[in-house]
Amino acid sequence: MASSRFNAVTLEMLWTRLISIVDEAAAALVRTSFSTVVRESNDFACVLTDARGQSLAQATESIPGFIGTVPRTITHFIKAYPPAQLKPGDVLITNDIWLGTGHLPDITVAKPIFHRGRVAGFAGSVAHAPDIGGKIRSPDARDVYEEGLQIPMMKVLDAGKKNPTIEAFLRQNVRVPDQVMGDLYAQFTALTLMEERVIALLEEQKLDSLDELGRHIHARSEAAMRAAIREVPNGVYRQSAVSDGLDQPIRLEMALTVKDDEIVIDFAGSAAQVMRAINVAMAYTIAFTSFGVKAVLAPRIPNNEGVLRPITIKAPLGSIANSKPPAAGGARALVGHFFPMMVIRALSEVLPERVVATVGSPLWCFNAMGQRHDGSAFANMFFSNGGYGAARGRDGAHVLSWPSNVKSTPVEMIEQLVPIKVHYRRFRVGTGGSGEFRGGNGQETLFESRAPGPITVAFLAERTRPEAAPAGVAGGGAGAPGEVLINGAQVNPKAQHVVQPGGTVLLRTPGGGGFGLPGKRARERAHNDVASGYVDS
Amino acid sequence: MAQYALGIDIGGTFTDIVVYDQKRAVSYSHKELTTPESPHRGVISGIRRLFEAERLEYRDVARMVHATTLFTNALIERKGAPTGLVTTEGFRDILEMRREHKYELYDLFIELPEPLVPRRLRLEVPERIGADGGIEMPLDEETLLERVRELVRHGVQSLAVSLLHAYANPVHERRARALIEREFPKLFVSLSSDVAPQIREYERTSTTVVNAYIKPLAESYLAQLASELARLGIKAPLFMMLSSGGLTHIAEAKRVPVQLLESGPAAGALAGALFGRRSGVGDVLAFDMGGTTAKLAMVEEGEPLIAYQFEASRAKRFAKGSGFPISISTIELIEIGAGGGSISEIDALGLLKVGPRSAGAAPGPACYGRGGKDATVTDANLELGFLDPSTFAGGTMKIDRALAAEAIKPLAAKSALAGAQLAWGIHSVVNENMAAAARVHVAERGRHASEFALLVTGGGGPLHGCEVAKRLGIRRVICPPSAGVASALGLLMAPARVDRVATLARRLGKLDWGAFERAFRELERDARTVIDATLPGKPKVSVERAADLRFVGQGFELVTPLPKGPYTPKSLAAIRQAFVREYRRVFRQVPLVSDIEIINIRVALTAKAGRTELKVHERRSAASGARKGTRKAWLASRGRFVEMPVYDRYALAAGTGIKGPAIVEEASATMIVPPSARAQVDRAGNLIVDLGS
Repeated sequence: MASSRFNAVTLEMLWTRLISIVDEAAAALVRTSFSTVVRESNDFACVLTDARGQSLAQATESIPGFIGTVPRTITHFIKAYPPAQLKPGDVLITNDIWLGTGHLPDITVAKPIFHRGRVAGFAGSVAHAPDIGGKIRSPDARDVYEEGLQIPMMKVLDAGKKNPTIEAFLRQNVRVPDQVMGDLYAQFTALTLMEERVIALLEEQKLDSLDELGRHIHARSEAAMRAAIREVPNGVYRQSAVSDGLDQPIRLEMALTVKDDEIVIDFAGSAAQVMRAINVAMAYTIAFTSFGVKAVLAPRIPNNEGVLRPITIKAPLGSIANSKPPAAGGARALVGHFFPMMVIRALSEVLPERVVATVGSPLWCFNAMGQRHDGSAFANMFFSNGGYGAARGRDGAHVLSWPSNVKSTPVEMIEQLVPIKVHYRRFRVGTGGSGEFRGGNGQETLFESRAPGPITVAFLAERTRPEAAPAGVAGGGAGAPGEVLINGAQVNPKAQHVVQPGGTVLLRTPGGGGFGLPGKRARERAHNDVASGYVDS
Repeated sequence: MAQYALGIDIGGTFTDIVVYDQKRAVSYSHKELTTPESPHRGVISGIRRLFEAERLEYRDVARMVHATTLFTNALIERKGAPTGLVTTEGFRDILEMRREHKYELYDLFIELPEPLVPRRLRLEVPERIGADGGIEMPLDEETLLERVRELVRHGVQSLAVSLLHAYANPVHERRARALIEREFPKLFVSLSSDVAPQIREYERTSTTVVNAYIKPLAESYLAQLASELARLGIKAPLFMMLSSGGLTHIAEAKRVPVQLLESGPAAGALAGALFGRRSGVGDVLAFDMGGTTAKLAMVEEGEPLIAYQFEASRAKRFAKGSGFPISISTIELIEIGAGGGSISEIDALGLLKVGPRSAGAAPGPACYGRGGKDATVTDANLELGFLDPSTFAGGTMKIDRALAAEAIKPLAAKSALAGAQLAWGIHSVVNENMAAAARVHVAERGRHASEFALLVTGGGGPLHGCEVAKRLGIRRVICPPSAGVASALGLLMAPARVDRVATLARRLGKLDWGAFERAFRELERDARTVIDATLPGKPKVSVERAADLRFVGQGFELVTPLPKGPYTPKSLAAIRQAFVREYRRVFRQVPLVSDIEIINIRVALTAKAGRTELKVHERRSAASGARKGTRKAWLASRGRFVEMPVYDRYALAAGTGIKGPAIVEEASATMIVPPSARAQVDRAGNLIVDLGS
């Protein structure tokens, strides 16, 4: 009756099945992983691609930083290991920052799925390892060699057989070898699960490969994305943004060109790469930039190659948005998290009803090291977030993690873990940008050291310069920039500091931007803000 | 004299009344429309009707068990009492900050749950307990009372008190309650150290606030229901079903009503476990598909899995993480946006989507003829011949096949398919959705769905079960008798149960073993008083100890069953071993970290409440043969309608086999047996479908 075997019903069912296969693998991976960022912050992805490495389905809960990175790594694998060199049971590996995701802790693995004697597709996964050697989480690394172990593209399993040499090298170079290997095996388990499920699906559907199904998924997704782009007026939309940087602010420039049903985004004019670990490799730039486009234009289409086809993303090689070796990239989020917001701001000119004002992101982190009263050492990181941006029809949420997704640490846990007393954690009243719809407040947390001796503190803190304050949209005001104070005085948040017993650290995260002219704010909303104490009365 | 057990299960649409005659081992049931404005009315009229119809005597009721979605609905509809919150100075915003993360990564306009207590009703009081339980700053009693007076002036009727580190030392919270009750004897007060004494201030406060929010409602509703039941002449005590799948007495239910939120689904999971056990199957997925949602619970070795935290009142109904965390023991289950009322549409990509939007009970599926125009799953099932319009819902409801066909037509046209093909598409897509959710849920618990049997209940379970099972690689489907009301039967076999928890936050290597054992005993003593009040006459009580353990440095804990006490320093090795074993079971691998931390300790006390396990005798049909005839139904493998044999379930003798394709009907459910499957009623009364390989 229907001409194609892929109609509205069969395609929907098979597509749902593919997504549930990657979601099932993701659940298995999260469950067996040691890495807390994998468990708590979804810092991983599971992906299925066709035989050419084009993505068909990506796990629903993986964070935006991985959109499209695994398929790109797989195409590099295919170049290095063409099908003739692959056998069932092979698993390929790399953490190269330019072939992978832009920093070394993310290990990408992929497994060819053989069916009827040929490669029918690939199962891929990337996960943030518990450790990768090198300096611990420091943005001061001068080059990638300081950041830890680099794993070149190679077969980590050869026809299912382990390679003791590779494993020995890996183990020798990381601080927690059992956990790192444990997580890697968890990734292998996820790959095998996807492989088994896909083969069962191909058998059931009497298909040779995933290619034909992939063509339909890509075609429908691409068509929907093109239709969404067509609704945006043609033009060039420019944006610039300033990040705190480390020693001096870093300028980011972007031109977003809409031509009919295609978008080209170019970061020409952005600062050059720096001798610190905040450089962004192209894969990460593409992931977060396309996330911005997708979040505004087509949030509901599942992530796959077709969605990305109408979008071209460029950045000059050697710039901070397209680093070249040996640039360090460990803290790439400090710059990369600006990109989706820049896209959103660019589109806000023509689609104000479909955007949010600037969010008080990236995430903040308080790092404290010292000794307890019993002499034992501690080194802990505590995360916090700024206010969310307002949108037409809604005020921004007070305090929300975006675009990453990191939970805060409970005060009761902090006080159990380390000799630090938290005096308050509360909304930073009046820091949301003004507007018809108000930006969300940031938060302020006051820590007091109760350690017997001096402790060392360091921070991840962004948008502390006035020019980096989260901007409003459509006439809305900016959120307040963040502040870091030690013993009541503002300090350089990018430097390490020593805090004496009884000394205090006050973190004040930025507020989100507002939406629309403040004069148009509805009286009940303004009244409620005052009654609730969200703004100063 | 007869001895009845009476089960009352108030759902969103229907109130199920079930009576089980413990001597004759027969059961009677009745479905009454739920009366949301005053739910006890539906209960009383339902009981009356059933007792009159079956000529039962009220005085013969020996015990009553009640489950209700009333409190969950009050929460969803925000119909609880005006509630205030008192916190430690500096921390009133914790309730609104949540844990700062999103439940959906890609939605810019994410909707976060509005806190139950607005900021102006969250007030602070100077005081401070340290992490070790020591008093760092005494409670400022004057300020406390001023704050409470202010809240009362603002109309607050119920108050939650959640102070920092109250799990470690409840002295300030208890002093606060004493002071507040003296001045405001009518104000409801819930203490975090009472409701959920566990570390992590947001989750504990959230649980306490939800408790406070529904507490006045629980008080008035339960008092009224108990008195109305007594007026009927029922002398037996009323027990409440808890989310944990256990029973408790009314006073305990009123004290901490947040324990009742998931009582209805818990009964369903218990029923699934019981019917599985009766057929000798320990590992089942209990799959209950109703009008708007499907629920799935994992049963391992005959027992439903317990979770120690769940979510209530989600901002986005089926999105994990969008609700209020509730730190209370509960039967673990997922809710899927798939039911008879699920609406189908062709989306922007030209694909057929089914649910989670539902036509609900009003207007309902198009075939109800109540104004619904959207094609729903029930419309598709009718179009495919799977449902018989003359016997739908026991013949109480008229449905119209022509209206179903009419609703399906535009979707079929859009996708260039024939009406029946599209209807089969709706049936298949909703099956795929349910299978996808089940697959991920089971994988999150480290298992594969194919290792289970699927136990189907609810109106939709038997209709869709076999196709869902096939997609999950499951080969056996079990359909209990009276699948439509099976969940209410679950109430009657629940044990009395009390769960208690306390936070310790100590390293295992540095434990004071005397204090450790005393902490368990104190919890057990407290739990025992509740059991004794529930079941007088010194029942046999089983005690299980568990602890939330983690390797030092980890950010999450694993709830680990512990060996029996009493504990001494010699228990260290056994506890360590129990954790390592559990860790390996769950995560398949164990990190080489030497030190273990105990965050919380838990006890669960259970005691059998009923006299015997439930045995339900099959009603026999008067018909001479089981085969009633045939009807035209869609056979997907042929791509056309065929004359499908229809069997009367009541007339199937145990052991008689049926070959699919076939339809097996009983009053409350219709089972579709697919081609090449074999079905038979086993000696336990369950219909077992073997799907082959």
